Parts: sequence; structure tokens; C-alpha cells
Amino acid sequence: MAAAIKQPGWYRGAIGALLGAAFGFFLVIGLRALMGLDIYQTEQTGYPHIVVPLITAPFGFLFGFGAFDYWFRWAAGKPTIPDDHSAHGATKWQDYFKFNTDHKVIGTQYVVTTLMFFLIGGLLALMMRAELASPGSQIVAANTFNGLFSTHAVIMIFLFIIPVFAGLANYVLPLMIGAPDMAFPRLNALSFWLLPIAGIIFIASFLAPGGSFDAGWTGYAPLSTGAPFGQSFFNVGVQFAGASSIATALNFLVTIITMRAPGMNLWRMPLLVWANLSTSLLVVGATPFVAGAQFMVLFDRVLGMNFFQFLEGGDVISYQHIFWFYSHPAVYIMMLPGFGIVSEIISTHARKPVFGYRLMALALIGIVVLSYTVWAHHMFVAGMFSWLRVPIMITTLLIAVPTGIKIFSWLGTLFYGKIHVYSTAMLFALAFIVTFTVGGISGVMLGMIPLDIHVSDTYFIVAHIHFVLFGGSVFTIFAGIYHWFPKMTGRMYDEKLGRIHFWGTVIGTWGTFVPMHWIGMDGMPRRVADYASQYGDWNLFISVFAFILGAVQLVFFYNMIVSWRFGPKAGDNPWRANTIEWQVSSPPPVFNFDEIPRVVGGPYEFGTPGARHAIMGGETAAEIPEPKPTTVTAP
Amino acid sequence: MESASVALGHGHDAEDHHHGPPEANQSARIDRTVLGILLFILSEIMLFGAFFAAYFFLRVVVSPEAWPPVGIELPVLVAGINTVVLVSSSFTVHYALEAIKRGNHRGLKLGLGITWLLGATFLFIQINEYVHIGFTPRDGAFGTIFFSLTGLHGAHVFIGLLLLTFANIRAWRGHFGPEQKDHLGVEVPGIYWHFVDIMWIVVFLAIYII
Amino acid sequence: MTRLPYLKLVLATFASGTLLSVLLLIPNWFGDAASTAAPEIDLMLDVTIVISSYIFAGVCVALAYALIKWRVKPGDESDGLPIHGNTKLEIVWTMIPLLIVLGLGIYSWVVLDDIEAKDKDAQIVNVYSQQFAWTFGFPEQGNKWSEGELHVPVDRQTVFKLHAQDVIHSFWVPEWRIKKDNVPGITTDAIVTPDKVGHFQLVCTELCGYGHSTMRANVVVESEADYAKWVKGLDQKVPESLILTADQALEIEREAQARDGGIEGSGVQETGTDNQS
Ligand code: HEA
Ligand code: HEA
Ligand code: CUA
Ligand SMILES: [Cu+2]
Repeated sequence: MAAAIKQPGWYRGAIGALLGAAFGFFLVIGLRALMGLDIYQTEQTGYPHIVVPLITAPFGFLFGFGAFDYWFRWAAGKPTIPDDHSAHGATKWQDYFKFNTDHKVIGTQYVVTTLMFFLIGGLLALMMRAELASPGSQIVAANTFNGLFSTHAVIMIFLFIIPVFAGLANYVLPLMIGAPDMAFPRLNALSFWLLPIAGIIFIASFLAPGGSFDAGWTGYAPLSTGAPFGQSFFNVGVQFAGASSIATALNFLVTIITMRAPGMNLWRMPLLVWANLSTSLLVVGATPFVAGAQFMVLFDRVLGMNFFQFLEGGDVISYQHIFWFYSHPAVYIMMLPGFGIVSEIISTHARKPVFGYRLMALALIGIVVLSYTVWAHHMFVAGMFSWLRVPIMITTLLIAVPTGIKIFSWLGTLFYGKIHVYSTAMLFALAFIVTFTVGGISGVMLGMIPLDIHVSDTYFIVAHIHFVLFGGSVFTIFAGIYHWFPKMTGRMYDEKLGRIHFWGTVIGTWGTFVPMHWIGMDGMPRRVADYASQYGDWNLFISVFAFILGAVQLVFFYNMIVSWRFGPKAGDNPWRANTIEWQVSSPPPVFNFDEIPRVVGGPYEFGTPGARHAIMGGETAAEIPEPKPTTVTAP
Repeated sequence: MESASVALGHGHDAEDHHHGPPEANQSARIDRTVLGILLFILSEIMLFGAFFAAYFFLRVVVSPEAWPPVGIELPVLVAGINTVVLVSSSFTVHYALEAIKRGNHRGLKLGLGITWLLGATFLFIQINEYVHIGFTPRDGAFGTIFFSLTGLHGAHVFIGLLLLTFANIRAWRGHFGPEQKDHLGVEVPGIYWHFVDIMWIVVFLAIYII
Repeated sequence: MTRLPYLKLVLATFASGTLLSVLLLIPNWFGDAASTAAPEIDLMLDVTIVISSYIFAGVCVALAYALIKWRVKPGDESDGLPIHGNTKLEIVWTMIPLLIVLGLGIYSWVVLDDIEAKDKDAQIVNVYSQQFAWTFGFPEQGNKWSEGELHVPVDRQTVFKLHAQDVIHSFWVPEWRIKKDNVPGITTDAIVTPDKVGHFQLVCTELCGYGHSTMRANVVVESEADYAKWVKGLDQKVPESLILTADQALEIEREAQARDGGIEGSGVQETGTDNQS
């Protein structure tokens, strides 16, 4: 037992958490006593003696869990333990519950954890749909309902979509660029462990007096600054989730810039790598703004500051500017990695190079740049500077251009290909093109101010959100999970179940979210627990399909779990793909390669006889025929 | 802020590599840790950017009658002296780095030590100023902006000092050497310290001068 | 290599796009229209629907064509043609969307200017919103007040000065197609010229707390004469349920004095507090 406590791990983590909480608690009380205040602040929203431990306890846990051991030894000037790499790789399931620094283990940890959060977020959505199935108040009170959609959205966005992409990329990206691991493996592990912490904080808000945070995922001030205690859990949780994604983005950027295999110049990087490069640029630049916005709300709530207190000289609308300066780029943080996944899958399963590869990469960069200039399209009716509206409208509409380039290039990739549709991954990628186009076009309609004035804050927005987030992001996530499942587990999933999941999800998505456009345009506002009875029929329809959509997800979970244990062996390269991650064993060896591969050509040279993307260690150059890139232009 | 120390110090100590990973290809000339800290600073600048955005709204958009409000005198002189203190520490940390590049361990220790003392002095004066300033974060928009911007910066000074503490400890234990990979532990906190410095000049101008 | 049957693809897109737009144009998506802005916005929706239908049809036709034509036969393990791109084509599909969105942008701008143009004979109505009730002030008719019920004259522009007492609310009458947030600390405005007599609902569309979904008010659009009669019957006292901020109280006081002092209601005049809109 004593040894168990000294060792980094769960025991020491639990003790650390307790000590951290106690430290935070006494820090607050001590400081308040020092300043001659009441030791407990009892204003309804404040509770610093709980908010501060909410921040310090996770750090205590991480100390105990071993996240900082190495850095501490380093900081203290002690010789660092020569890494015996015991914290690397996983041989048994327990290894997944440790502070593990192997990018593949971390990737798996990410994907599994975030899928759990998808379940939780989905269950919250189903509770919402149950309430909304008919007009009037049935199962939850109005403020509980507000808590439901707020937590639903926050969990889906901060703990599912954003991190699951980080997880998938964590797994495949170092392999793809021929790196043995990420640039900062310990930071990588830390990023992962910040996530469950954020999740626990969000979910724990349900226990707070006054219920969970209920000001929407946007948390507009001054509703949020005056909200009951649960709101602080959102303010704090976002800091952990945000820190996690910033750290991961730094890691990706450094890895991509400094650790590519010899020969892999920028124009030989797979588009997934390009996509994560772009996403990371967005994360590093924009995420601090959401951290800032939530700090300000927290300061207003706990320290009594006046950022958004209009009676004290604060400015209400500034919250929205700061928030959306993050949260618009955030929607591309939630989409660009998916674009990368789709490019990989479509090229592989159509057996053709990605059409217009360079323009595809440049379009990503274009989206990144434009993303920073459109935040205020969420504020067309918010009473912000009226002169800002038209310029923002123009930049918003311009985003359709690079996005269109991507859609058309994927279609171009399919033309003259040999399209294999046996894989569920490909099915999801193809369905993504169609559904995302619908969501994107409704986005363009929202970008047009006169239309937005009418439909803003109605179910039309809810429809747009879910078409781009479910039909866009989630479809690509499913595609990615199916595509790399054989690589990650070494086993094949069941295509039949995959197909059931696919068709159920497509039908469920369209059935659930298409009618939302209609009732929204017709006048049903969003974020309401109750609505006019004329919308009853459509809402029932929507709820039925939402439950179908939920139910088919069970097929997915069943398929994943059972195939992971019992699926047939997949082989190293079941899709006959070219990128490097498919040239190693499934699952890949602990350090990915014995010898760093050499990159000799583009990543998608299908159809060119003898063309190679990379030469793996162990092969000698003599064996490799000189590739003759034949370029055929489309008729 | 969340993890300033995090980008530091790994990947570069001589781990022995049997059964280890193959050495990654170095595809860019810049050192990984240095690139990491630069990107981290980029995101820090954006965090400050969020607070400067708030500053802009509270001061320019709301446009209160007087800024700072009547009755508030800022100790510009003290803050000016403090600025000199902090700026000079940028030179000393640079001196330390130059020293170790030439293998001069004494210069390194001297430079790092003085930098640490200057930083601590800055923080001390700042806290002292808080105590005697005569208004609180609750006092209107000005109080809010004053305390949040200088406080955010103060937190960064604190983190920087922490990093410098580590560098000092290791310097006194005789670590570091002229090769770049052997003095990253000085270079990286140094870069961060320069950033803290430059940020202070911006904060100082915004709060005390204009 | 066979040449693409461009003509066939274009025709199929055109046909299915036309079909789709016709189908989508049949329903009356936005519901009844009751302001001068509404027909313009509705027309804009129709235009957008038609353009979107063709774009969507184009994507679907291309996808379906590719899937039918180039789906592999079982057992075919070969690769597709190594086509890397086609600069001309890429320029085309960059330029066409660019032109479309620029067109839509300019169109939107024109419409926006149009629906926000202020008339000379417009009247001002103050709208106060607080959790979870609406109160209306009629400064030009002798500082009258109404709680929970709004009347406006038909065929005359009304400029609503929107205020919020606690958190953000939003002013929306679906039939008018106009929406604007009520923001604490500043005054925003919504400009409407109702052109149909009738009863409508004012809906709060910004999340404002547990009562958000029930924060409604009745709206009655009536003839100028009926309106004048209705306003006359209202009270001059500020309703007790309305919690004014110090600034707002001062403002109301000032306006009242100005009007009592004989300054004619001079139509639309900025009151000086709108610092953001
Ligand atoms: C993955 C997430 C994602 C993505 C990718 C997008 C993409 C886009 N979004 Fe969306 N959006 C959200 C997530 C996303 N959005 C969320 C979550 C909200 C609500 C937040 C809240 O309030 O809670 C929101 C809200 C939102 C609003 C605010 C509405 C309001 O509250 O009033 C607006 C307004 O402009 C908008 C616009 C757009 C546009 C123009 C795009 C474009 O990028 C779309 C571009 C794509 C296409 C256009 C399709 C493909 C292109 C072609 C086939 C080429 C040809 C096309 C044309 C010429 C038109 N979005
Ligand atoms: C990020 C991604 C994301 C995803 C994936 C979803 C998925 C879903 N969302 Fe959500 N949603 C948002 C992001 C997302 N949403 C956002 C940002 C908002 C705005 C919030 C705000 O206003 O602040 C929102 C708001 C929102 C609303 C509007 C609330 C309101 O304004 O009043 C609704 C209403 O129907 C809704 C429904 C759903 C449904 C039915 C799903 C389904 O697709 C979920 C399907 C998944 C599951 C159901 C889970 C898996 C299966 C099980 C749990 C098994 C058990 C089930 C059975 C046995 C049947 N969402
Ligand atoms: Cu008031 Cu919603
Ligand atoms: Cu946006």
C-alpha cells in the first residue's frame, strides 16, 4: 500500500486531488481573512471557496497521477530518470488507464473517452426530444430544460467533436509523416488527461445548487454572470478543455513542422496532415479567446468585476465579440479535420489521386484565414455596430468558395475512379458530401443578413447546426473511425452492421433535422421548453427520428466493441492505401518504425504504375523502381 | 498560462536509446522546444488580446466620461520605475544566455540570479501597488480593467519567475553548456521572459499612459 | 479516355434543380407576411432557394453519375486514372461560386438598406423587456404606457427603441420578419412598417432564463384611428412592474419635459444613448 501511494497512479492521484482541493479551499479562506472579508462569500453566484478548489483539485490529481513527475525532476535539477519506456505503449488493458506517453495509446484513449461523452451528450439530447415531443411541459421543468441543451451542446462540442478529431489525428498523424511519436509526448498525455477532468466538471454541475449551467453553450452575459452556481462549472471546465486543445495543437504544429520524414515536403503531406495543420493554427490563435471570455465571466461572478455589468460601466455586447472570435473559428476546428479524413478515404476507395491536391491544401489555409474575419455573423441581430454587418456578411459568404472547392474536388476525385463502396467508411464519406452541402448552403442563407434577421435564434439555426455538425463532423468521425479501426485494433469490423448503422444514421439525421428548417422558418424559436401547439406534429416527427437515430448508435457501439475483441484479423493494409500508416503492421509497433521511412512521392499516387509514396526502413533503394509520374488531365 | 512549464525540457536530454524509438528526422532547422514556446507565446498573446478587446469596449465603445474616473490617481512614477526594472531584466537574461553560449558558467549564474531578483522586485512592487492603490476590482469598469490586465500580466511574471527558478537551480548545479541543446533550459525561459517584458510595455502604455 | 458527357450532366442538373426548386417554392415557408419588409425578404428567400436547389442538384447529380458510372465491378482490383487535376476546371469552380456569393452579398446589402430605411413620418415606440415581460411606452402620444400588449398603426413606420432591464431579450414578430436584440445598457432599434391589420405575437428569441419560452406579448395592428383611440385610453404613469435604471428614468423624464415644453414631436430623432447601433 505504501508503495502504491508513492508510485504515480490512481492512489496518489486521489490523494493529490484531495490535497489540491484542500489547498484551494484554505487559500481562499486565508486570503479572505487576510483582506478582512467574511471568510465565506455567500453571494448566490460566487462561492470562491468551491470555485478555486475546482481548479486546484484537478492539478493535485495530475501531480499525483504522475503527469508532472518528469518535469519536476528536471526542474529540481535532478537527473531525469533514463526513460525505460515503460510508460510507452500498451500491452494490457490496464495500460490505457495510466499516464501513457505513446501517441497511439493516447489516440485510443481519446477516441474511446470521447465516444463515451458522445453517448452522454446524445442521452441529454434524447431527454430534450422527449420533452419536446409534444407541446406543454411533460418531463422536465423549464430551467432543467435549459440545462439540458446547454450541457448537451457543451459536451458534444468540447468533449466529443473537438477532442475526437484530436484523438484520431493523434493516432495516425505521426505515422503518416513518418515520426516515431509526437514532438512532446508528455504534454500529449497531459492534454488527454485534462479531458476527463473537464468532463467531470461539466457533468458535476448537475449537482450544483440551482442545477447545471443553463445559459446555453454560448453563455451570453449578463444571463451567465447572474446565473446560479452551476455556471461556474462551465467557466472552469472550458479552461481545462481549452488548455487540452491548445496543448494538442502546439504538439501537432511542432510535430508537423519539425518531424516529417526525409523527403516529405509540404506538397507531399497527406491532406489529413494539412487539415490538422490548419486546425491547429485555428486552435492556437482562437481558443485563448474563449478562455478569456470565460475568465471574465468568472471574474464578474466570483470577484465582482464589471466586464459585463452594464450598470457599472461594463459592456454587454463585448462578451459576444470575444466569444465568437473563438467560437466561429471553433466551428471550423470541428470541420477541417473531417475534411482531411474525407480526402484520405475518398482517394483510397476511389483508387485515384485527390483531384487538385494543391488547391485542396490552399483552400484549407484560405478557410483558416477567412475564419478569423467572420465572427460577427452570429451577431447580425445582436445590436452590435451596424457598420460591421455588411463587411462580415461578405467575408462569411466568401467562405463558401474554398469550401466549394473542397466539395467539387472530392467529386472530381470520384470521376474516372474505381469506386469501392463496400466499406462503411466510404459510405459515410460520400453521405457527408451531400449532407454537408445542405448544411453549408443553409449557412450561406444565414450569412445573408435579411434572411438571418428573420431566422436567427429559431429552429432553422438548430437545423443548420446539426446538418454541419452531425451531417458534417460526426459523419466524418464515423468515417474516420471505420477507416482506421483495422489499423488501430488489427481487426476488421462487421460491414453488415456497419451498413445498418450507416443507413440508420443517414435516415435518422435527415428525418430529425430536415423538419427543423421548416418549423424554424415558420416561427418556432430555439431554446424553448414549450412551444405553440401548431408545431406539435412536426416536433413529434422529429422526436421519433431522434430516437431512431439514437437507437442505431447502439449498433455502432456493439459493432466496435465486439469486433475489437472477436473481429477477423484485418491485415496491415486492408484498403490498399498508400500513406505511411498503412505500411506498418496493424496495430503498429510501439515505436512505429525501426527506421524512419523515406518519402519519395505524393501520398495518393494511385494508377501510376510503380509510383511509391514512401520507402520503408529495411527496403533498399535499389529495389525501388524510379517512378514515372504520368499526368493525365481530365477531359 | 495553463501549462507554461509544459513546453519545456524534454526530448533533449540524453536519453539512452536502446529499445527506444528511432531518432526522428529533423525536417526544420528550428529546435522543437523553441518552436513550441514560440507557438505557446502566440496563444498567450491572443489571451492578452481577449482582455485588450474588453479594454477597447469598456473604454472606447462605452466611452465613460473620464478615464480613469475622477478621483483615481495612478502611481505612474512607481509603475515607470517598475517598467525600468522589468525591462532591464530582459537584458540580464540575455546576458546569461550569451554567457553560457561562450561556456561562461559564472556569467550564467550571475545573469540568471539578477534576472530573478529583478523579476521578484517587479512583482513585489506590483503587489505593493495593489495594496495601496485605493480602489478595487469592483470599482467600475476602470477597476476591472486595471486589475485584470495587470493581474493577468502579474500571473505571467509569476510563471516566468517559476521557470527562472528552475533555470537558476540547474545553473547552480552546474548543468547547461555551450551547445544549443544543452542550454535550452536557459534559452526557453529567456524567450518567455522577453515576451512577459514586451507585454508589460503594452500593458503599461494602455493602463498608465494613454 | 471517353469524353465526359458534359451536356448530359448539365441537363440532368438543370432538370433536377428545376424540379427541386419548384417543389421547394410551393410551401409558404415563412408563413404570413404583414410588413413592407416581408415581401422583399420572402422574395430573397425564394431566389436563394432556387440558387441553392441548382447547387445541391449539381452536387447530387455529379455524385450519382460517378457512383453509377465508375463503381467497380466485383473483383476489379485496378486503379483509376491518375488524374491530378485540371487547372481550367478548378478555376471555373472557384469563379462560379465566387460570382454567386458576391451577387447574393450585393443583393442582401441592397435589401438590407431598403428595409432599414427610415421614413419621415415614423413614430417612436419604446420597448422595455425584463424577465419575463414586455412593456411598451408611447412617448409621442403623451407618454402613455402599456403592459404586455402592443398596438401599432397600419401603414405607418414605427421605430421601436429596444431596451432591456436585466439580461438580453430579443424582439421578434415573425409576420414582420424583423428581429433585434434588446441589450441591457444600450438602445437598439427595430424598424417596421406593418401593412396588414391583425393580431400577432411578439416572441422573445434570446435565451433569457427559465421563462424564456413564455415571454410573449400580443401585437395588434390596427387603423390609425383605432390606434389613436387605444393609446388615448392608456395610463400615463410608468407601470410599477417596470424596473427602470437610473439612466432610463432620467431619459424618460427629459423626454417628457421636452414634449410638455412644446417641442413638437419631431419624428425620428436619436436620443443620444444609442452608442452601438
Ligand atoms: C461544423 C460546424 C459548422 C460549419 C462548418 C458551419 C459553416 C457555416 N456556417 Fe454555421 N454555425 C455552426 C456551425 C457550423 N457552421 C453553429 C454551431 C452555429 C450556431 C451557434 C449558436 O448560436 O449556437 C452556426 C451558426 C451560423 C450563423 C449564425 C446564425 C445566427 O445565429 O443567426 C451563420 C451566419 O452567417 C452561419 C454561417 C455559416 C456559413 C456561411 C458556413 C459556411 O462555412 C458553409 C460553407 C459550405 C457550403 C456553402 C457548402 C459547399 C459549397 C458548395 C457546394 C459551393 C457552392 C455554394 C454556393 C455558391 C453557395 N452559421
Ligand atoms: C456537436 C455536435 C452535436 C451533436 C452530435 C448533436 C446531436 C443531437 N442534437 Fe444537438 N445541439 C448542438 C450540438 C450537437 N447536437 C448544439 C451546439 C446545440 C445548441 C445548444 C444551444 O442552444 O446552446 C444543440 C441543440 C440541440 C437542440 C435544440 C435545443 C433548443 O434549442 O431548444 C436539439 C433539439 O432537438 C438537439 C437535438 C439533438 C439530437 C436529437 C442529436 C442526436 O443526433 C443525438 C444522437 C446520439 C445519441 C442519441 C447517443 C447514442 C445512443 C444512445 C445514448 C443509446 C440510447 C438510445 C436509445 C435506446 C434510443 N440539439
Ligand atoms: Cu426574454 Cu427570452
Ligand atoms: Cu460562425
